[in-house]
Amino acid sequence: MERVPCTDLAPVDAILARYPREEPSLIQVLQDVQRAYNYLPCEALERVAGELGVPLAKVFSVATFYKAFSLNPQGRTIIKVCTGTACHIRGASQLIEEVQRRLDIGPGETTGDMAFSLQTVNCVGACAMAPVVIVGEKYVGAAKATTLATYLDRGE
Amino acid sequence: MPTLTIDGKTVHAPHGTFLLAACRAAGIEIPTLCEHPAVEPYGGCRLCVVDVTRPEWNGWNKMVVACLFPVEDGIIVDTRSERVLETRRVVLDLLLARCPETPLIQALAGSYGVTKTSFVLNPEPTDCILCGLCTRICDRMGISAISSVDRGAGREIAPPFKEPPPDCVGCLACAEICPTNHIRYEASDGRRRIWGKDFEMLRCPRCGRAHITVAQADFFAGKNGVPRSYFETCDACKRKELAATATKLAGGASTPAVEQGTR
Repeated sequence: MERVPCTDLAPVDAILARYPREEPSLIQVLQDVQRAYNYLPCEALERVAGELGVPLAKVFSVATFYKAFSLNPQGRTIIKVCTGTACHIRGASQLIEEVQRRLDIGPGETTGDMAFSLQTVNCVGACAMAPVVIVGEKYVGAAKATTLATYLDRGE
Repeated sequence: MPTLTIDGKTVHAPHGTFLLAACRAAGIEIPTLCEHPAVEPYGGCRLCVVDVTRPEWNGWNKMVVACLFPVEDGIIVDTRSERVLETRRVVLDLLLARCPETPLIQALAGSYGVTKTSFVLNPEPTDCILCGLCTRICDRMGISAISSVDRGAGREIAPPFKEPPPDCVGCLACAEICPTNHIRYEASDGRRRIWGKDFEMLRCPRCGRAHITVAQADFFAGKNGVPRSYFETCDACKRKELAATATKLAGGASTPAVEQGTR
């Protein structure tokens, strides 16, 4: 796999300082690293493995298992389009197309300026609001191509 | 000691043991793919399923994996009920879809009457059945160089970042325990290569056989506090030496017959 270089590990050390140096801290540390960098740099995983005393293979296994973690840099705002049954029926695919048309990225891709990433998710548990799109931390219910556009232009 | 009934036979099994061991002790064969005495039970392959019931359950029963189910007093086990056999057939059917070219899977599926998978054939046939034996033996050795990577249909066994694993010492435990020979390695002329990593071999100072990697000797010596020289001599030479010492202690001369017998 392709390694994305990362030189500044100071944020990782700051995160590690907040947790006990033991295996049970692993997921919390990785969540914080993901938040700090918007992805998990390979070097950060190596540092975490060394400091928590967890084999690197285990850290990599956890980092690749959970969808909340990404080994590739993600955009500052992540757009999650729900493609669960209710959202699918109410037009999730049009919403994906709209994002694709405006930002020129497909599911799993990130814009060149690192502003946005597009992801599809299976169900966010808000079927009554279908179709649902999560822009950053904001849940947008009954999403339409037009409402989506305002969020994408604002780039929040 | 709990007393249970397996396929009509009364069986005694020690507390804390699992149903699989009890079945085998009773001479009843249960198919398994992810079980190995060197590692903890895992319950990954789901082939060892059996039906368990009790008289007071009024005909209700539950299906459990024998390798992870602790023996209980008074349980009645059926290892070949139609439901059990059908479950094993489905598991083998799925495995055959994943690994259509793997002789072990073909043979096992064939023995359950599954000669062709009823599922969509894997477009990229593999020999890996994800039994986890390789990662578990690697953990057991205290190395943990490889692990399960990704999830769902894309899950595979790989080293970190899918690069040559930094922690691997080239002991080949993973390749040797692999039931389907999925994990390949190359060995030639004092070198060994596995997981894309090259290893220099150590030659036995007595017989000159390249029997262990340098990394392996370093790892074990560092781990146990046993002098590194202990790992340099190969097992066969060590046995010979021990036999010679034993012969000397017994007061006899070391004869060629003794040497031959201990090789």
